Order: sequence, then C-alpha cells, then structure tokens
Amino acid sequence: MRKSLANWLDDRAGLRSGLRSFEEETIPGGARWRYVSGSALASIFLIQAFTGLMMMTAYSPSSSTAWGSVFYIEKEMWMGWFIRGLHHFGAQTLMVLLLLHFLQVLWAGAYRAPRELNWWIGLALAGLILAFSHTGYQLPWDQKGYWATKVVTNIMGGAPVAGPYLKTVVVGGSEYGNQTVTRFYGLHVGVLPVLMFLGLGAHFALRRRHGFTTPRVAVDPNAPRETYWPDQTYRNLLVVTAILGVMIALVIRHGGAPLDAPADPSSSDYPARPEWFFRFLFQMLKYFPGHLEWVGSIAIPGALFLTMAALPILDKIAPSKVVHFLACCLVFVLVGGAGFLTLESFREDAANPEFQAARAKADQARQRALFLASSPKVGVPPEGASYLMRLDPPTRGGAILEKNCLVCHRFDGEGDEKWSAPDLKNFGTFAWVRGLLEQPDSDDYFGRTPECDGMIEWKRSSKLNAEELDQVADFVASFAKIPPDITVDEWLDTPGVVEHPGNELFQQDCGTCHRIDGYTEGGMRDAPDLFAWGSPQWISRMIRRPSSPVLYGYLEDDQRMPASPPDEMTDNDLKTIVRYLMNDYPMPDEVAVEPEEAAIRP
Amino acid sequence: MNRRDFHRLGSVVLGSLVKLAVAVPAAAFLLTPLRRPKKSGTSSDFERLANLSQLEVGVPKSFAIVRDLTDAWVKYPKEPVGSVWLVRQPDGVDPPVIAYTAECPHLGCAINLKPDGGGFFCPCHSSAFDSEGKPENHVPPRPMDRLEVELTDDDDPHVVVRFQRFQPLAEEKIPLA
Repeated sequence: MRKSLANWLDDRAGLRSGLRSFEEETIPGGARWRYVSGSALASIFLIQAFTGLMMMTAYSPSSSTAWGSVFYIEKEMWMGWFIRGLHHFGAQTLMVLLLLHFLQVLWAGAYRAPRELNWWIGLALAGLILAFSHTGYQLPWDQKGYWATKVVTNIMGGAPVAGPYLKTVVVGGSEYGNQTVTRFYGLHVGVLPVLMFLGLGAHFALRRRHGFTTPRVAVDPNAPRETYWPDQTYRNLLVVTAILGVMIALVIRHGGAPLDAPADPSSSDYPARPEWFFRFLFQMLKYFPGHLEWVGSIAIPGALFLTMAALPILDKIAPSKVVHFLACCLVFVLVGGAGFLTLESFREDAANPEFQAARAKADQARQRALFLASSPKVGVPPEGASYLMRLDPPTRGGAILEKNCLVCHRFDGEGDEKWSAPDLKNFGTFAWVRGLLEQPDSDDYFGRTPECDGMIEWKRSSKLNAEELDQVADFVASFAKIPPDITVDEWLDTPGVVEHPGNELFQQDCGTCHRIDGYTEGGMRDAPDLFAWGSPQWISRMIRRPSSPVLYGYLEDDQRMPASPPDEMTDNDLKTIVRYLMNDYPMPDEVAVEPEEAAIRP
Repeated sequence: MNRRDFHRLGSVVLGSLVKLAVAVPAAAFLLTPLRRPKKSGTSSDFERLANLSQLEVGVPKSFAIVRDLTDAWVKYPKEPVGSVWLVRQPDGVDPPVIAYTAECPHLGCAINLKPDGGGFFCPCHSSAFDSEGKPENHVPPRPMDRLEVELTDDDDPHVVVRFQRFQPLAEEKIPLA
C-alpha cells in the first residue's frame, strides 16, 4: 500500500527520481570535510528560518508592543527562551560560518570559470545575511536594538547623495517608531527570506551543475566511489550536530537571549555597542573624523565587496595565480585586521570605567524592566512597554527628583553639597516626623532652611517628653493616609482620629502655629496647613503651587521653594515622583544585579 | 557493517537528532496556550453589578462585566470583558434576580433583547429564547446560561454575579477554565 502510494506520487511528481539523482551524485575524489561549510551554513539558516517562524506566531511588531511580546516569548512561553536563544546564537553562528565558507571558497579559487555566476550569487547571499542580522537586531525594540538601529541607519544616512533619502525610507520617516518596526519586520520576515530562498536555490542548483571544486592534489584512481548520500551527508550532519550542540550549550548557559530595558529615546548614557561580529567596523569608525565617516563605514567595505565581485573578471585579464595570491593576501590581512580591531574594541571597553558604569546602569534598568513586567502588581501597561519604566517610581521618579529637587533637597543623604532644604527620604512617615520633632535644626531637617525656623523656635520652648513626641509623630504621620476627597469635619468624624493620644498634644503644641480650618486655630506664627500632610494631594500641591495660601504663601517669592508647573513636570511625572517619595512601588525581594555577560566578554 | 552503511545510519541518526532538538521545543512553544492559567484572585469572584432598586420586575437589563484583564503580556486595568442580562423576579420568588450571560450557547455571539422586549435573540444565527432563557427554535443547543447570583444584606441590596464562560455548542452547560 505504502509502496503503491509512493509509486503513484512518483509517477506524477517525479520526486523520487529527482531526489535519487541528488543522492547518487558521485563526488570525484570522495567526500571531504572541506565541502561541509556550505551545507552547515544552509542548515543553520534553515534553523533560523524555523525558529523565526515560531517566533512570528508570538511577536507583535509595533513600538508599543514589540518589547512586551518578546518579553512574553522569553519569560512566559514554554521553551520560548530556547527558541529565541537558538535564533539569537544561530545568527552569530551564521556569521562565523559565512566567514569560513567565504574563506574556503576563496582559497579554493572557486570564483574561476565556470563558477563566476555562483560566486556572485554567494556574495549577494552574504549581503542578505548581513541585512538579516541588522533588521533582526532591532525587532525587540529594547535599548540595545533601538540604539544600534539608530547608529546603523545614521551611517546609511551619511552616505553621499542618496544617503539621507535612503535612511528616511528605511526608517519610515525621520523619527524611529511604529513604521521603523513594521518596515524592519517586513524586511526581516518577508522580503529578505524570499530573496534568500531564491538565491539559495540558484546557489545550490549551480553548485550541483558544477560539482564541488576538487582539490588540486592528484585523485587516487583506486579510492572507493563515494556519493553525496550518504558519504557527504554523514560528514555534513556530524558537523551540523556539533554546531547545534555548541549553540544549545550557549543558549542554556545564557538562559536564552538577552533582552535589555525597553527602548528609551531620552536616555543619555546608554552605551550602545553592536554585536561582536560588527565590532571591528564600530572600532574602525573611531579612527575617522565625522565628515569622513562614510569612508570607513561604506567606502572601504564597499570597495572590498566590489573587489571580490571583480575577481572572476580579474582572473581573465591578469595571471590567474597572481590574482588568487593577491586576493587571498588581501582578505587574510583584512580578516586579521578585523580580528585585531575586534579585540581592541573589547579591550578598550574593559579598560574604560565610564563604559563599565554605564553598562552597569543599563543592566540595572534591564533587571528592573524584567522585574516590573513579570510583577503581578505591575505588568506591561496598555500604553506600551516604554511606560513600564516611565511610570516606575524608582526609575523615573528618582531621575526627576535628582534633576529637579536635589539641587536644594537631599534624599537619603544624596544630593548637592550645598543643600538648603530637608532630606526627603521617608517624608511623611513616623520616622521623618519623629526626627524633625527631636532635632528640627538638624541639617537633615530645617537646619539649613532659615525660612522655616519656626520648628526650631518651637523646640526651644516645648516641654513634650519622648513618649508624647512619639504620640504626636504617630498622629501627624497618619495625615498622609487622609483620602483626597474628604473635608476636615469628615476626617474628625472618622473613628480613631479624635481619640488618638496625639490629637490633644497636636492641638496644644502644633495647632498654635499650624492652622487647620475647622480644627486648629494657628496664628502665633506663619506655618503651612498640615491637613493631609504627606498625602499625595498635599505633596502634589506643594510641588505645583508652594505659594498656595495653605502652604508657604506667607513667604516672599525668593524665599520659597520654586513651583513646578505642568509644562515643566507632566502630570505623570508628578504622580511618579509622589509615589517615589511615599515608597509606593514594588521591589523584588532580593535585589541582585547580575552583569550581562555579553557586555563584558573580552 | 561497511563504511557506507555506517554513513547511512549516521546520517539518519544525526539528521533525526538535529530535527528533534529543534522540533520538540518548537512544539512546546506552540502548545503554550494549553498551559493551565495561573489562578488570578478575581477570576472566579463575585462581581457587583447593580443595586436591586435599579431593576424593574420582569424587565431584562444588561450590565458590563469590568475586570482587570491580562492579555498575554499586557495588563489592562478595568476593561469590559463581557456582559450579563439581569432579570428581577416578582417579590417573594426565589431567586430574586436571574442572571444570564449574554454569550450565546450556540457560537458565542452576544445575545440581545428582542425589539418588543419579550425574550432574547442572537443576531448572528438567529438563536431565539423566551424571557426565561428557554430556546424558541432549534438553533441553540441549550437554554441561555444562567450565572450564580447573590444579594448583599444592604437596605438596597447589591446584585453580585459570578461571571463564567461555558463551552459553546455543548448540550450541557460546561464551564470553561
């Protein structure tokens, strides 16, 4: 039955005879290990195509969804880390195999007649593989991909004449965004694979037509006849298995492929580096002044590419052996030079403490982003993965605090050396209030803020003992939990407020200056209203409008904390900084930042 | 075994090894949706939909089920995920309120009220139900799916419903995880 079905199929499609002629291809001189490089390259490419196809079922190309979907593949889906890891290390393996295949074909002089056409097709395929690498690198839309793409497309834009237009078309506009992701995605999974398979088909067909380029050593006429199947396939598969084994080991060792923090165009210190196989270009660019950049990045590689393409022609017009010798010399010198530049680049980074610091910071951001995305309390917000960090109190809140507030304030002992306002760490909590009541003239409180000497004056005359101070501090710390839409009367009616042991002490000792409408009189000295002190609404008002009559309206403009209106600090930023001050954000149980290995590889 | 047989065997074994090393993880990758969903705290909880006083006896009214929704990698806060028809029963009848999911037991379209208000119909494949959710034609495989309803002890009780989905096309009401 099986046989008749196979015969039926073969009668109509002729598959078996086609396959058989392929299998029975005699290899003059026998199967050889040196014929393996092309098959290995093709096999790893097929693995790339397959793992890529798998990820297409889960990846979502847009600037707001790309990072989240890659995170989902890498961290949530079954074996997602393995599939993505194979694709990641497979891409690097392809580069190595591409170089080996190229060197081997060049060494064998396989550009000579009648193989000129296949040599050119091979060069074109090499160009396609580079294009695959560039377009794929950007797809996760993480910091690494974002900045690498920016650099590569700017190099493209630096090309004379057509460069800027080409760049705009590739990027999909002048800004990097949704159109960039969709275009790169379309190239990576549609245009390039089609070209690649067409080219590969032609490359194979011509390889079969011409056979292997046999070595120049004399063929032993008594050697047993060897055919492609199984003698060469065995060698091919042994090598492919070994390569795949190395790839799998790398995937397991790294636990998948790296995913940096989501792309952030505003970050000022991301140490962008290309993947290691482009390091030599990256390093070479350092030796060119900006306006001659295109010489290093386009002219030199382009000239080399054209020289290689011209080899079959040079072979005809110049002595064949001389051309071969010179071409091999040129390429081996360049490969050696590229190796040197690569090592040089890693050596420079290893010796550069600023790079190390920036990389450590990027690793911290990466860890934070991965933690937030997987935290059940946070998750990737609908607005997109970039908001993961943009709404994160320690990340964004800390950054705004540092920029806007730490000029005068301090935070946990950090800040400007000439600070003139209280330390804001734990502002609004019992510890902060208790510390203030204990020693208001401390440098952590109002010791450097002569405009707010009222508390210091109070301390001199206050007779409250430690226990009473605890009670007052506990009472004041409870203000931060007063909800935003409540009046003073409603608050006083809330169970536990009037009965609080600190209530009476507050009215006697604090209420004489701090007026709360409907509760305390104030009037002895000017002081801010403490109703809901330390709550989000109180802090927000303090940041937006410190000149409000219920805050520091009584001070002169130049004595007061400067206001931050919405055009200086967005509403989102305000909310984020308030949450940061109130310690309202999730943290991992154990903060351990492991450095990314790829970054410190020698 | 001669040299060529060894090559033949080696090719088959190694070829299978390479294919399996990629295909098995890929199969797991594609089968990820079969993973048991992580028990999120709210999914089976009762949800507060309306006050009893908002409902008129015998007049079905539709309410949206709003939940925190996790859609693969995205977390949506408070997103409508479905809707429910509530029908208040005359005083003294138990249960005092009946809740039907608006998801049609036929193929999952949204069931609407008939224009005259006397029963339900589904605009997709014209499933029709009377005001008690019983099928009025042969299209739906079973009556409209009733959901568990409870009333709170307040003066004007809240109607709370346990929102669930059920397998379409089945003659029995089979809850989906």
